Amino acid sequence: MTKVLATYNIKGGVGKTSAAVNLGYLAARDGFQTLLWDLDPQGASTYLFRIKPKVRGGTRKLVGLKREVASVIKGTDHEGLDLLPADFSYRHMDLALDRFKRPTRRLGRVLDPIREEYDFVFLDCPPSISLVSESVFEAADALLVPIIPATLSSRTFDQLEELAEDRKDLEVFAFFSMVDTSRRLHRQVMANVRDMHRVAMLGAAIPSSEEIEWMGVERTVVAEIAPGSLPALAYEALWLDIKRRLGRPEPARATTLRARS
Amino acid sequence: MSAELLPPDSLTLDATEVVLSAGLAVDDGHPRELDRIFYDTFDGLLHAEGLALVHEEGRLVLLDGPTGGERAVLAAPRPNAPLSPSTLAPGPLRDALCDVCGIRVLLALVQVHSRVRPMRVLDDERKTVVRIRLEEPELISNGADTMLRPRVRLGAVRGYDNELERVVGALESELGFKVADQPLVDEAVRAAGGVPGGVQSKLKIALRPDQRSDEAASGVLLRLLEVIEANLDGTLADIDSEFLHDLRVSVRRSRAVQRELKRVFPPDELARFRAEFKWLQQATGDARDLDVYLLEFDEYQAMVPESMRGDLEPLRGVLRERREGAHQEMVQALRSERAANLFAEWRTFLDGLVSMPAVERPDAARPIAEVAGRRIRKVYKRMVKMGKAIEPAGPAEDYHELRKKGKELRYLLELFATPLYPEDVVKPMIKTLKSLQDVLGRHQDREVQTATVRALADEVASLREGPRALMAMGVLVERLGEDEQAARSAFAERFEAFASKDQRQVVKETFA
Repeated sequence: MTKVLATYNIKGGVGKTSAAVNLGYLAARDGFQTLLWDLDPQGASTYLFRIKPKVRGGTRKLVGLKREVASVIKGTDHEGLDLLPADFSYRHMDLALDRFKRPTRRLGRVLDPIREEYDFVFLDCPPSISLVSESVFEAADALLVPIIPATLSSRTFDQLEELAEDRKDLEVFAFFSMVDTSRRLHRQVMANVRDMHRVAMLGAAIPSSEEIEWMGVERTVVAEIAPGSLPALAYEALWLDIKRRLGRPEPARATTLRARS
Repeated sequence: MSAELLPPDSLTLDATEVVLSAGLAVDDGHPRELDRIFYDTFDGLLHAEGLALVHEEGRLVLLDGPTGGERAVLAAPRPNAPLSPSTLAPGPLRDALCDVCGIRVLLALVQVHSRVRPMRVLDDERKTVVRIRLEEPELISNGADTMLRPRVRLGAVRGYDNELERVVGALESELGFKVADQPLVDEAVRAAGGVPGGVQSKLKIALRPDQRSDEAASGVLLRLLEVIEANLDGTLADIDSEFLHDLRVSVRRSRAVQRELKRVFPPDELARFRAEFKWLQQATGDARDLDVYLLEFDEYQAMVPESMRGDLEPLRGVLRERREGAHQEMVQALRSERAANLFAEWRTFLDGLVSMPAVERPDAARPIAEVAGRRIRKVYKRMVKMGKAIEPAGPAEDYHELRKKGKELRYLLELFATPLYPEDVVKPMIKTLKSLQDVLGRHQDREVQTATVRALADEVASLREGPRALMAMGVLVERLGEDEQAARSAFAERFEAFASKDQRQVVKETFA
């Protein structure tokens, strides 16, 4: 069964794309067939994989199920990791979704034809609260929520709790991102994280680091820029924790059917 | 999408690499060694479908033969014995193999050791769009290893098929590369002295209508002997049940030719060989029957109510035991001097048939089309007569006799009419005959199966779970009987088609 994981935060610049790209890479490295859908019209993860931010037919055809999703998927440079690229027209995805009867089910339906093929689908979401994010909540099995300890307010967690309460079938995993342990505020916030009812706090924290910033220059994953570095290890730990919580330590079956010849 | 190309003859692997890196691709720089074993069934079922199965680097991979593209993959250790697809872990690879191979097992064909070097083609964003694998393969065999031609495998990254086409086009038009004329496995099999596509048990023999009948008969019989001998080792080693089946079909076909074209052979010698072939047929009969019981066992289980299906297992156990015994006896017979002599003497006899005195062989020099045509007409007429005489509630023996005649006619049609007479007559005739034979076969099988299940009752009863098994066997016997009756009811309609006025007319005109 395909697991759909969405990196989500209402705020921008908190490490969503970095998490989606690096975790997607690790999933594929483990032998899972993995797809990353770059839903952000800015196309940051598409850029990181050196792929053109273009989907033939744009948002309307894609969410209208008029364009076969398999035909717009691109292979990345990493074996087992494919990308459904961003397109500038995604900025109007709300409008496109709103034309349908059950708009929030649309994204899931776009993915239906390719579920057989992938063990994991990562959704890299644009910041905001909108019909797109509602659809993401509907399509996802789990949300991965990066949180910068400095900006943490009790409201952030309250909102997450509320979200998780509304959707019993959606798991919500939060983790600290862009952590600077030299800052007292960060250390203090992290030490004071209270237990939450429905939101699970993942053990690993992603440090704020130069290696992650270099991703934009080198246009690849941290594990390739600086294998063995602190952020590379942090993503490993994070991925291990996520897999454990999803109860999927190994590829369900190391078998793939490649329907492309 | 993928493609396999051969560099121009003058280009070594190293030179190819230089040429590629100059214009197109970047070198990944990690040459490595790759050991592969290719598999197929004895009769080349994968090859026939344009597929190849290979084990490399801890994976079984189903390849598209012409392009080398991967169809399905399964992580698995290297099989160290004939591989039965049904024993693989569930998934697309197993499904695909079971679909193509059925009950046949996969045998190791050739081992290839390669030096490979991966390269990549990048676009203007320095994104990988085509993966290239340069390969210098070598056939590993017990004797001397043989170098095979270097080849270049190109695989498109998903969504970049156009780029692959562009690269293939450039390699062909600018650098003199050629699309590989055969898959690596075929080249390796040829280099090992084999024939790609495996050993066929199907006969394709070219005959001329005016050919001497003894010459045509010996040609067909020699080919049948080849099939018998080709399937002998697999039968003895019990690799899969198709070896014995194909062997027996060829024995039966040989016997049909001996009987139907008897006037091309010297009578005394023919009589001796016919006795020996009959012995061969009988010596392999029990083993085959029990194979069929076991192959069809799931079907029997499906005939009884679901709650009773498990109760039939003791019967399966008894059948398995019997099958082991029958197989051992058969192996003894096939390994005997008698069998060895039979094959050797039969071959010598057939080789010399044409030059034997013609005195006692009135049909020997007559054209085969005439002799076979006459037999076809005769056997057909005889079948029509026999079939018309069958009463719906008549003895099972009547149906059985008609079926035996039907087999004779079918072999005559397949072996002689197919190469000698118009296809538009022969093909539909074989089809209506087959459809009749299916019903007769089902009738006969059910009759025999009922008797066998009854005969095993005592043995099964003595087992621990015996009583429950007996109850299920009772239900099975009833179902088998019902199916036998169903076959009987279907007979009239099938026979009518076979013996229709039009069909009779066609036979009369064609095989006059």
